Order: sequence, then C-alpha cells, then structure tokens
Amino acid sequence: MLSYPDVYEIGISNPGLQILYSVLNDETPAVAERAYCPWPDMAGLMRAAGERLWTLESMEPVAGCDLWGFTLPHELTYTNVLEMLDLAGVPLRAAERGEEDPIVLGGGPAVADPWPLAPFFDAFYIGEVEHRLAAIVEALEAPGRSARLGALAEVPGVWVPGRTEGSVRREVFTAFSSTPPVLRPVVPVLEAVHDRAVVEVMRGCTAGCRFCQAGMWYRPVRERPVDLVVDAAERLLDETGCDEVSLLSLSSCDYSGVHEALTRIRALRPGVRVSLPSLRIDSAAENLSRFAAGQRGSITLAPEAGTQELRDAVNKGVDEAQFQEAVAATFAGGFTGLKLYFMIGLPGETDDDVAGIARMAATAGGLAREMAKGRARLSLAVSSYVPKAHTPFEHEPFAGEATLRRRQQLLRDAMPRNVRVSFHDVAASVVEATLARGGPGSDRLVERAWRNGARFDGWTEQFRLDAWQKAADELGVTLGDSAPVLDAPWKAIVDPGIAPSFLGDELARSRRGELTEDCRDGACGACGVCGAGVEMEVLG
Amino acid sequence: MTWWLLSFARRGPARYLSHLDTSRAVQRTFARAGVPIALSQGMRPKPRISLPLPLPVGAAGLEELAVIEVPDEVPGSAATLRALRAAAPPGLEPLAVVVVGDQHPRPQAREVEYTCRIESDAGALRAAVERYGSEGSVVRERVSPKGRRRLDLKDYVAGAATVAVAGGTEVRFTISYGAEGAARPQEFIDQIAEWAGVEPVMYGLERRHIAWQGLPSGRGPGDGRSVSS
Repeated sequence: MLSYPDVYEIGISNPGLQILYSVLNDETPAVAERAYCPWPDMAGLMRAAGERLWTLESMEPVAGCDLWGFTLPHELTYTNVLEMLDLAGVPLRAAERGEEDPIVLGGGPAVADPWPLAPFFDAFYIGEVEHRLAAIVEALEAPGRSARLGALAEVPGVWVPGRTEGSVRREVFTAFSSTPPVLRPVVPVLEAVHDRAVVEVMRGCTAGCRFCQAGMWYRPVRERPVDLVVDAAERLLDETGCDEVSLLSLSSCDYSGVHEALTRIRALRPGVRVSLPSLRIDSAAENLSRFAAGQRGSITLAPEAGTQELRDAVNKGVDEAQFQEAVAATFAGGFTGLKLYFMIGLPGETDDDVAGIARMAATAGGLAREMAKGRARLSLAVSSYVPKAHTPFEHEPFAGEATLRRRQQLLRDAMPRNVRVSFHDVAASVVEATLARGGPGSDRLVERAWRNGARFDGWTEQFRLDAWQKAADELGVTLGDSAPVLDAPWKAIVDPGIAPSFLGDELARSRRGELTEDCRDGACGACGVCGAGVEMEVLG
Repeated sequence: MTWWLLSFARRGPARYLSHLDTSRAVQRTFARAGVPIALSQGMRPKPRISLPLPLPVGAAGLEELAVIEVPDEVPGSAATLRALRAAAPPGLEPLAVVVVGDQHPRPQAREVEYTCRIESDAGALRAAVERYGSEGSVVRERVSPKGRRRLDLKDYVAGAATVAVAGGTEVRFTISYGAEGAARPQEFIDQIAEWAGVEPVMYGLERRHIAWQGLPSGRGPGDGRSVSS
C-alpha cells in the first residue's frame, strides 16, 4: 500500500509515489495499491458509517496490506498520517500493533528528521529507494511481524526503531542516469494540481543555496541522457494523452541537455507545451529566449532575498543587474504575468533586507509599466523561512512569530500599491518550525494536536492553530521557539552523507557573506557526498 | 475541419467525474487514441470540444454527447471508434461517432429521461409519485447565489412513475427543457421525498436518454453517417 498524506488531487501529482508504484508493480512480485487522505467531510461520513479507509484499486481495506508505505513530503502533513492510520483502523503507535496489522514504513524528504513521527512508524527508509524496493519486498516474506522487521532492518537505508544501531546512511540511487523515468504513470481522471506528463531529467542540485534542504538531501547531481529524456517524453505523451510535458528536477535550467531536449521534443511534437519548473535568475534572460519561445502566460523568478548581502549569505548570489535583466526579458518575451518569490526570516535578516524586497518589487513594477504598458500583472509570494535539518542553517534560530508578523507588516507598508502580495500563514510556519527539528518526544505534540482536531495543516482554510496551541500548552512546549537549536537529535538516526565540516564551513561562509561555487562549474566543495560508488554524473 | 458528434456512456467509477473532468477525459481519450482534436485560435489555443449537457457528479449517463472538431483527414471509421474505446478510462465508453461536416452543430437538450432509487417504503414512494401526477401545480423555490426563484415542477417534469426493481423501487421521470432552462432532478426528488416522508437522497441516478434539438437534420447519434460498432 502506498500513500501520500494529502488529498488525491495533491498526492497523485507526487512523482516520488509514481516511481514507487511503477517499480513495485512492474519489477517486484508485490502488488502495490494506493490510498490518499480523505477530506474532513468524507472522513466524518466514513466514521459515521463505520467505513474503513480502502484502497483505490481493489477497494479493499487498507489495513489488510502487508506493508503501508507513506511518502512524507513536509511537516504539515503529519497529522494526516495519524488521520489515515485511524481511518484504516491501524493502531497509531507501532508498539500497539499486532500480527494482523501492516508494517508502516515512512520515506520521503521529511524523514530527514524522523523523530516527530518515529513512534507511529514501524520503520523508516532514508533516501532514494528505487534500488532497494525488491529487498524490502523480500523482507516481507519472513514469517511473522518480528521477523519481517528484523529482515527490514538488514536492508540498507532502513531504520527500525529499537533494532537499528547507530545512524542510517542516506541511500543514493546510483543507476538513476541509466534508468528510464516512469513511462506508464497513473493518469488521473480528476484534475490534479500538476496535470501533465513528467520526465525527471536530473536528480540533485549543487547550486548550494544554504537554506535549501532538498539541495543538500538529493546530492550528488545525476543527469539522464537526452535520448532517454526525449524518448520518455514522446512515449509519455502517447500513453497519457497529456498536452504538456514537464522536464522535472530541482533546477531544470541547470540540466546540461536542456537545450537539446527542448529543441527535439518541440520538433517532434510542435503543439505540445514543454514546461520547466523553475528558471534561474542569473541566466534567465538567455533562458527565456530559448525555453519560453512561443509560450505565454506567467513566469516565476525567485530572488529569495531583498538585498545583495542577504542573497550572498544564503548563496543565491543573484545581483541587481541580473534581476533587472531577467524582469526585462520576461516582459520583452511577451509574458504578461511575473511572480517573484521571496522568503522572510532568513538567518541574519534585518529590517532593511525586508525593505529591499519592496525596492525590488518597485523596480520590477517600473519595468512592467514601461515595457508591458499596463498589460502585465506583478505579484509577490512571500513565505517564512523555517530552518531544516542537514542544512548549513540547521542550528540557526527560527525567526519567531512576532518577528515574522512585524516584517510582514513592514513589507505591506513599504510595498508599491500596484503589486499584489501574498504571505504564507505565519501560524503554520510556527508549527512547521516546531516539528522540522523535533527531537524524541515531539511525536506527543503531533498526536495531541491531531486529537484536538488538527488535520490538513498545509491548507490555510483547514489549519487550526488552536488545536496545536492547546496541545503545546498541555505538554509545556513552546510553539515556534526562536532560541538557537544547540543539539541535533536527527543526526542520531540519519546520516545524510554530507560532511558535518561542510555544513559548518558553509555557515561560516554565510556569516562572512561569501559565495560557494556550484561544484559542477568549479572546484569540489568537499560536501562529502561523492565516493564509494556515489559520483556526480553530468552529461559530457 | 470537420465536426463530429461522439455519443458515449459515463458510468461505474467515471460517474464521479465533474463536467470539466469528463470533458478532459474525453479529450485525453482522443489523444491516446491518436485522434487529433482541432485547436482554437489565439494566444492560448484550446481543444475544440464541448459537452452540451453537463451530467451531475455521481450520475451515470447512458447516452451522452460530445461535440468535437477534428482535421478533415481524420476518418470517422469503425477503426477510429475502436481506437477510442481502447483508449478510454474505466467507465467512459465511446458508443458512436457521427461525422457532421463543416457546420458547427449546437445541440440543445429537449427532453431527458432519468431514473434513480430512493430509500423508502415502496407504497409511500408510489403514493408520492401518484400525488405528483394528480397535482395541477407543484411549486418549489430555488435558492442560488443569484437569488431566489420559484418554479413549477409541473412545467418541467412529466412521466413520473415508480417501477419495482431488484433491491427496491426505482423512480422514473422525464425533464423537459424550455427557454428558461429546466428543473433539476434533485428538485423533483426533494418534493417526492418530502411527500414520502424520507430523506431526499438519490441513489444510482441515471440519465438514460436525451432528445436533442439543433442537430443537423438526420445527423443525430444513431442517424446519418454514424459509426457505432
């Protein structure tokens, strides 16, 4: 059983779950089915009717499976995990499960710190899993629950609480480059948030943004050959009937074969839209003319921070001239919508850095008026930074609720009138920050909040701070504590393969405002990931 | 370019699709079958496809209609229909293709036959339906974001009857369309349930047949150059 702890429309768009579904069903003796989290009204009806959570494929009770795997994308889905376990009739805590209950296995990026969910899972898988799925399935052939957990604990990358000694090294799928992407995905018949064919062109990113957990977690960079990408795109368009294909990665403009792949796909399928999830500002002017030819609509650029000093501190490195050039290229290219993405609450941020966001918005607004003559829409999305485990900022303090609210107001007051600004809900960030670096015992907060009614915490209209605050008060926990985090309990479980000295050096460089070059362009940054069969694979 | 009418059934798991999702499912069925759909002009070309009578979420439709424009060279053949059937998702079943020609058909529903089940004592249900037949006027109020509107169900709903089927009693009725639209199946069932003293919950709503107007002469589904097998 495979689950993503959110509604179907979100979960079906998750490429990770599509990979697991495809590999398990095509390459192992297992039969994988899926279940997503029912929306609260449906959950209420199910409880009232005594219905248990069922699978989408066979409509059998989820609790009847041998193994229930959850992809855990971020902290604000944790209460949904408990909701799904409860709806399925599976005891919440692993210690309470018996022979008839499935083994509950967690994976995905949020297992960078498994503590807040540890007692609810029988095991966690740390890292990329394609190459270990057969071994996991084989472990399930052991007789009985205890023997199965024992066999699972022997699979590299698996952490079984109480059985695994020491930390578990993050697994890297070293055959990524030579393996085709998912070619027969599940095609949703309901509109999904990302409703298009997906070709994962590259895994990993070494741009080195110091706030970015994914950039650290998925190292090293591995690129798929262009032939593999183009063939997959063609086949996926045939198989799915989609009219758009996304060349997916953490930074697709950095994919060495991006020009060739785009050119060939467009030549083969002239009417098809080819999308790239993100454009880098430092090369946007060049990229827009190459990638976005014939495409219209809106585009998102992410300067992340409002001043050069802060951008350098987070290793974003984009300068004012590059930003202006990118904005001008956006409007010159015929795009009528520009969205700028920023974060507030970054380590070392000052009020002037926040005011700098408004200054950049004013610059962009001026260019929009000048070049698009009133036809352009300019908007800003401003989220609150939450420090994450296994990044250079893993010990840095969270900015805190009061500071974030004050800076949001500062930005509202300074913002030009013609720019639409949306802010991430500070209260949700406070909860996210509490869980992102949670230690042993943080599971009690998750369970109490769920029992108090917290569900779908990533959805603004569903998020209930009162449920979390009540849970925190009951446990004597401070939500969104802005004190520095001195210990790192996640390191007792997870070894990401990143050298601690690298993270320390990066933090020191951040404080000095020094940039670190992308290792694909320059010297090795000694992050420690490469070696022992794990290497960067960039197209020649 | 050539206009086609596609007759199709939506049932099973597909009955839970919304109108837009049904349209998208038909569109992707064509793409998977290798049958191109013409695109509109302009900055953001859209496939030229429309479903003239939306089907409520949860309802099955045995004889739905899609109006689709395709390039002239695409054959409306039995082989094309077979390809569409093979490419359709579970519950969506292409039934027939009618090649209309270069005139854009704009069909409008005239009469629609529905059936559904209601959990109720068969006698109470039959009495409620018979009462509906004997009333001269049955006025309901429709509340929507646009305001309140009173409509007489008798102007729209006729042919109401109950039929004993395996597992219960089925209600059959026909809704006529006028210049001001039509009554909704739920509005009729609300009234029947009220008289029968039960919850107004429809089970297994099915749209069995639609009589169309505005189709080119002799070119309705099942007529003209229809390919149905």
